[in-house]
Amino acid sequence: MLEIRNLHARIADTDTEIIRGLDLTVKAGEVAAIMGPNGSGKSTLSYILAGREDYEVTEGDILYNGESILEMDVAERAASGIFLAFQYPVEIPGVATMQFLKVALNEQRKARGEGELSTPDFIRKVREAAGELKIDPDMLKRPVNVGFSGGEKKRAEILQMALLEPKLCVLDETDSGLDIDALRIVADGVNALRSPDRAMVVITHYQRLLEHIVPDTVHVLYRGQVVKSGDKSIALELEENGYADIIDAAA
Amino acid sequence: MNIQTKPPLTLAEQALVDGFAERLKDLPGSAAVSDLRDRLIGELKDHGLPTRRIESWHYTDFRVLLKSVPEGGNDAVRLIEPLVPEAIRLVAGADAGDLPAGLKVSDYADALRDGRVTTQMEPRGADDAIGRISGAFVSCGLGLDLAAGTALEHPVELQVAHGGGHTHQRFPVRIGANAAATVIERHTNRGSDPAFVTSVTDLVVGNDANLTWIIVQTQGGADTHLSQINVTLEENARLTLYVVNAGGKLVREEIHVVAKGEGADLQLRGVNLLDGDSHTDVTLTLGHDVPNTTSTETFRNVVFDRARGVFQGQIRVAQDAQKTDARMASNTLLLSDDGEFSTKPELEIFADDVQCAHGATVADIDDVHLFYLMSRGIPEPQARGLLVKAFVNEIVEELEDEPLVEALHDVIETWLERHG
Amino acid sequence: MPAVQETIERVREIDVDQYKYGFETIIETDKAPKGLNEDIIRFISAKKDEPEWMLDWRLAAYRRWLTLEEPTWARVDYPKIDFNDIYYYAAPKKTPGPKTLDEVDPELLRTYEKLGIPLGEQEILAGVEQRKVAVDAVFDSVSVVTTFKEELKKAGVIFMSISEAIREHPDLVRKYLGTVVPTTDNYYATLNSAVFTDGSFVFVPKGVRCPMELSTYFRINEKNTGQFERTLIICEEGAYVSYLEGCTAPQRDENQLHAAVVELVALDDAEIKYSTVQNWYPGDKNGKGGIYNFVTKRGDCRGARSKISWTQVETGSAITWKYPSCILRGDDSRGEFYSIAVSNGYQQVDSGTKMLHLGKNTSSRIISKGISAGHSSNTYRGQVSAHRKASNARNFTQCDSLLIGNACGAHTVPYIEAKNSTAQFEHEATTSKISEDQLFYCMQRGIPEEEAVALIVNGFVREVIQELPMEFAVEAQKLINISLEGSVG
Repeated sequence: MLEIRNLHARIADTDTEIIRGLDLTVKAGEVAAIMGPNGSGKSTLSYILAGREDYEVTEGDILYNGESILEMDVAERAASGIFLAFQYPVEIPGVATMQFLKVALNEQRKARGEGELSTPDFIRKVREAAGELKIDPDMLKRPVNVGFSGGEKKRAEILQMALLEPKLCVLDETDSGLDIDALRIVADGVNALRSPDRAMVVITHYQRLLEHIVPDTVHVLYRGQVVKSGDKSIALELEENGYADIIDAAA
Repeated sequence: MNIQTKPPLTLAEQALVDGFAERLKDLPGSAAVSDLRDRLIGELKDHGLPTRRIESWHYTDFRVLLKSVPEGGNDAVRLIEPLVPEAIRLVAGADAGDLPAGLKVSDYADALRDGRVTTQMEPRGADDAIGRISGAFVSCGLGLDLAAGTALEHPVELQVAHGGGHTHQRFPVRIGANAAATVIERHTNRGSDPAFVTSVTDLVVGNDANLTWIIVQTQGGADTHLSQINVTLEENARLTLYVVNAGGKLVREEIHVVAKGEGADLQLRGVNLLDGDSHTDVTLTLGHDVPNTTSTETFRNVVFDRARGVFQGQIRVAQDAQKTDARMASNTLLLSDDGEFSTKPELEIFADDVQCAHGATVADIDDVHLFYLMSRGIPEPQARGLLVKAFVNEIVEELEDEPLVEALHDVIETWLERHG
Repeated sequence: MPAVQETIERVREIDVDQYKYGFETIIETDKAPKGLNEDIIRFISAKKDEPEWMLDWRLAAYRRWLTLEEPTWARVDYPKIDFNDIYYYAAPKKTPGPKTLDEVDPELLRTYEKLGIPLGEQEILAGVEQRKVAVDAVFDSVSVVTTFKEELKKAGVIFMSISEAIREHPDLVRKYLGTVVPTTDNYYATLNSAVFTDGSFVFVPKGVRCPMELSTYFRINEKNTGQFERTLIICEEGAYVSYLEGCTAPQRDENQLHAAVVELVALDDAEIKYSTVQNWYPGDKNGKGGIYNFVTKRGDCRGARSKISWTQVETGSAITWKYPSCILRGDDSRGEFYSIAVSNGYQQVDSGTKMLHLGKNTSSRIISKGISAGHSSNTYRGQVSAHRKASNARNFTQCDSLLIGNACGAHTVPYIEAKNSTAQFEHEATTSKISEDQLFYCMQRGIPEEEAVALIVNGFVREVIQELPMEFAVEAQKLINISLEGSVG
């Protein structure tokens, strides 16, 4: 489903290269964990997948279902099924969460040539999803992410993911700032969305999240490259020994 | 434009004009400087002092507020105890003594005599009354030049301690590239006669230079103090400017800063302590002329008695000054029903990719804070005193220079004791 | 961000000609000769069949006006107005005064229909969901019709054109007219006092809650004609009214002058809610034409516990010079000002409010949202002052400006004056562009850029929109989006 080939990227209009020849393949149905020390390029990778224009791809390609997405803008990629759960969800004052969800859902449907969802259908859908994530419906009347606690923000991200039904989910440090109860709720939400035709890229610094969202593959990112790939045992290894060994081996 | 009908001169305006005629023969200056002085006093005579109809003087009707101008003046050199013990004291007209390497000091009277300062002496605009009076009357001052790459170990203290009457000084200062220094500017009346003071500083902070400039004004309760500091910040220049006003009867302090080089940063902090029947006006204009410059301005004002305070602060962001980050705040504690404080913070923005904000508050002491302190056994007057002190000291403490922080605390403490 | 750049380019090219109210109504009119002199004022007064005192009042204002000079302090720039090149009176011929609906020229009814303002009471009653709104329709210099008058009368509410009120309720008019905005107030208000032609009069007696929303739709139709409306609203003790005002004008190459005066009086415990959606013709994409909107609006919270709330959505006019204000005279009175000012093309806006705290325990709240795009200039100018005797005055002010593109300006000029130690004033202002983070977040959820900008702008102005009555809120939101079209889809 996702194939990244020899990707090089830098911060736009600078010479600062962050991704330096990254290769990664994620199949449909697969949950791939990306781990790595601070500054290894994990979050940058998630932004580049989503199409943020602060980064410039200088070499290589990103194929999604066999086609390059580099020329697509952010909204087009989203409509094609790429979803990014933000590490720091953005606050949008004055825009009610419900309204936001409705616009997003219908714009995506429009882009895919599907009809708009009727208001009652939409509300039913949101209520169901919110219930499973233990989200208070009152929260959805509040402006997007404004005044949400850290846990509420992350749950709202997963709610959006559930509603928009993406094909490729990129979760950027979804565990940061969560206590153990919130982490479990979020992980359950993610696990419920695992399916044979959906791929997930779970970016995390710690192994902790991977106890709840068990990955099929683990990839270690260092200095903008995947330096080691394997199964979930790598995550345990990292927990034990830290990144030092892998980094030394890569150096 | 309106057709100006010429109003008759007020007593104070007449006293200024007469005082100029009397002093002219003693004022140093080349022929060009003398011509300029004549022209400036002529303009004052023609247009009078600014009134509240002039927008930049909206809250300080100078024509009405300036009731009298003292006669005579006293150019005697006075050295006072420096604010911090190790400071290098500089006084116009006195021998500077041994100076650290890289620091050059010149006598502004010499610059007036050789006439090369006429351009600098030109007023900033039609509303620049301070520039006009200063240009007409300026008799001495000091020029400072800090060579590129010099870091001064001890602060330099410019002292203007007079004994009343006229005092008019000017300070052209250039801080070279990569230089670092702390300069203290002090204005105080050590005599018993009312004073009429102007002081204009023209400061250029060079590329990558790092300057801390502290102005402490403790004039007497009958004095008129008019000052202006005109600052240019070059590339990556950093200026930390502190202004403490704790004296004077009629005070107008103008701060004009232009960030002309990318990466320039201004940190401006002001403490205005007002009491008696004084009128104190701090007027700031700050121009972000190029991209990527930053500034933060915080003012804390305390008003007792029948004092009136004014803060005008204008931030201008030019059209190509993208990525400007400018934040201004003015907080006032109005502690008397007879006191007044007027604030006019202004944003004038022509670039879109900017973050600019200003905030202003006027309030009395917070009842909750007061209650908390009293519940711990602190009697009300002391509790109030503590809270007022905390209100102003908070920004003094941002200066990460222990002796300076203490010295400013002392200035504030001395002033607050009058209201203990 | 190239996408944003593209948006900015599109804003530059924006065609303000998409103004959809730009049509002209062809109708025969009765006009006074061009120019301004005492005879013209006598002509207007005679046309309106006014009593002697009214004419004297006008003439006194005119003589005063001759001694005044045009104010120059606002940040607006326009060529000098030739006050003798304007028609001060123009009225549709067949309607010398407001009558019943049946007597109104059908051409006029169609005009208002085209503007989306049905005047037929039956039509309004037929609409099940729509709430009842009484309308006073002012066309150039005269009110053509006022609806629901009878029903309002039963409730004791007087709603009619001011010309009619001067004839029918001279004592009431005389008691209140000019008591909030005196004839000597300022250049444009003084001019208005001399030549005002029509406007609305509302009187809500003691204890009455006006049973429906009242509204006036102002339409400038004639060429070279100034509109000088005068509106007076009085709420007696404990009364309440919500009043809406809308304005449009045809597209014309020359500038037209609109100088209105609105006076509100709230006695003890009374409340007046005044909402405006101002959509005068803004001029074309090159800044040609458009209305000069010089307006003096002021509310007097004369009674204890009274409340006056101004809400304005300003999207039109070439020049807007307008500061709806509150005099908080009564103890415990409250003033509010909620404003959205959108400027695009070459529009210039200098608008804000004054909150003058005079009584004890008075409070005020100011929320101002400015959006500048194109080559426009958008200034918030506001004054908050606490008088020496105004103990416990409270004000909160929030002024936010949003810049779209790099050829416009956003300015904030507050005057904050405290003369009482118990005053608590809080003022905050910010200026920024739409955050790239917000835009990216929305787009990542599949919302295209134009749509995302519109969404964020709607969020930005929401606090003010929600102060508007429902029907207006929807219209206002649409209007904002249209005004920014090219930048916000």
